[in-house]
Order: sequence, then C-alpha cells, then structure tokens
Amino acid sequence: MSRAGRPVIVGAAIAALSVVTAATLCHALEVQITSVRVAERGPTDAQLIALRPRFRRLVGYRSFQVVRDERRVCAWQAHEAFKIPGGRLLHVVPKGMREQAVVMQVRLIDRRRPLLDTDVRLQNRGVMLFGVDTDGHAPDGPLIIMLKAEE
Amino acid sequence: MTCGDVAQMLDDFVDAELPTSQLLAVARHAGSCPSCDLAVRELSALHDAIERSAREEVDALDLGGVWPAVSDGITRVEARRRWTRRLRAAPAWGVGLAAAASAAFWLLAPAPELPRIASPRKNQAVIERIDSGGARFELRRERKYGTTLIMVSADGDAVAR
Repeated sequence: MSRAGRPVIVGAAIAALSVVTAATLCHALEVQITSVRVAERGPTDAQLIALRPRFRRLVGYRSFQVVRDERRVCAWQAHEAFKIPGGRLLHVVPKGMREQAVVMQVRLIDRRRPLLDTDVRLQNRGVMLFGVDTDGHAPDGPLIIMLKAEE
Repeated sequence: MTCGDVAQMLDDFVDAELPTSQLLAVARHAGSCPSCDLAVRELSALHDAIERSAREEVDALDLGGVWPAVSDGITRVEARRRWTRRLRAAPAWGVGLAAAASAAFWLLAPAPELPRIASPRKNQAVIERIDSGGARFELRRERKYGTTLIMVSADGDAVAR
C-alpha cells in the first residue's frame, strides 16, 4: 500500500466506526438512577413533589430529597455500575426488550456485600424503586433508588 | 397419357377433382394398364377406409348434453333481463327507501365487541428472579401506576425470608 493511500483508509475506517457507534447508541437504553434520602420529617425537593404521594404510600416517610442523580446511555448486554450514596453500587445489565418492556439484571452492592440480585422486566419509560432500609442503625438513614429505563 | 402422367394426377383423379376430359383419359389409361389400375384401386381403398373411420368417430360423438346447457343459459339470461326490467319499472322513492333502510341498519347495528386486553400500567414491573443473599427484603406495589418497590434491609442482619 502506498503512503498516500493510508490516510484515506484510516479516515474511512474512523467514519465507519462512527456510523456503527452512532447506530448502536440510537438503539441503546437510557438509564436514569436517582438516589433519594427519606426521613420522617423535613422538606421535600420540588422535583419530587409530584411523586411524594406515591412515595408516601410505598415507603411511609414524609421527607424526600435527591442526593444523587445520574443518567447514562447503556449498551445492551453491557454492565454499568452507578454509584449510590453510602458506599453502595447499583449494577445494571440491560438484556433486551420484551413486549414493550426492558429486561435487565439489577444488583445492589453495599460495599462488598451483595444486598440484592434481581432480574426485572420494567415497562419502557417506567420507573421502579429500590429501598435500602438501615433500621435506624446507620446515621444517613433510609434511601430510595429510582430506576428509570427508556429505550 | 403415360403411366407417369397418371401417377401425377392420381390423387386428384381419386378425389374426382380433375376436369371431365382428364378424368376420362386417366380412366381409359388405367383400363388398359394393369399397374396404373392397381394404383388407382389401392388409393381408392385407402380413401374409403379413411372416410369410414372419420364417419364412425363423428357418429360416436355424444352431443346430447349440448342443447340442455344452451337452454339453461338462455333461461338465466332471460331471468336477469326480467329483474332489470322490474327494477327499471320500480319507483325511484322505493329504491331510495331501501337504500336508506340499509344505511340505517348499518349505522345503528351494534359494533362487534372486541376482546379487551388490559394495557400494562405505566410503571409495571415484573420480577422474574430475586436473590437477596440472605438479607431481609420486602416487595411492595402501588396500585395506580403499578410502581414496584423492593425494600431491602442493609443493617447487617441476615434474616430468613
């Protein structure tokens, strides 16, 4: 191959890779993880006001405040780890779509101790919650992790 | 007339397609020439055999079903013409009334009921597998949106589920 031809081939390869990456991301899954600190009393963040009645019914607390919010585009079958306050990690592996629902594996790790390992099928654009209850033994209190998945 | 002339005119002679003078000439030559006479007799016998065979095949044809079929066709066409004549003779208001009745029946008839399929709720989640490694957990579900909460205890106690 001549030296003059090399840049053309490298350029073409980069363009092809970009197209493939763009196509992959178009069909990827957007995962949003929001960690919410809950308490018996105190204010509630404005962005959670609409969700407060639902939280109240499910968790039973009165104060809800966002402590961390992360949104990430995840590739199918790829492993993504989201940091959760209190030294925890939420591992998400999107596996595919089935009947307009996102099938994924979710694992919650508390430092090195696995707290939960589950396979869920969540309605596309739906939200599900994971609660971490410390039974009053930890100073940071209970936590709700909101998981939203959108294809 | 020579034997060669007869051989050329033999087919036309047997089919009687020659002018009268030539027919007589060939007949006279065949009467005095045994080989041409034999050729004429053989060809005549062949023609007779073919004609007989064709006649037998025609006789064997069954045309008995043709006329009833034609008759049925005529009857159908006549019936159709009778209906057309009746419709043309019918008053316009009668035709309009019939059309209006059909339209009313079509519009007012209840639509067939489709089977109802329950649409999934906005946040519906199906837990296909769950493992808490011995830690206590609780599954809660909210009715309105179908929001699911998996509450897990992180206090270090491994409580049997």
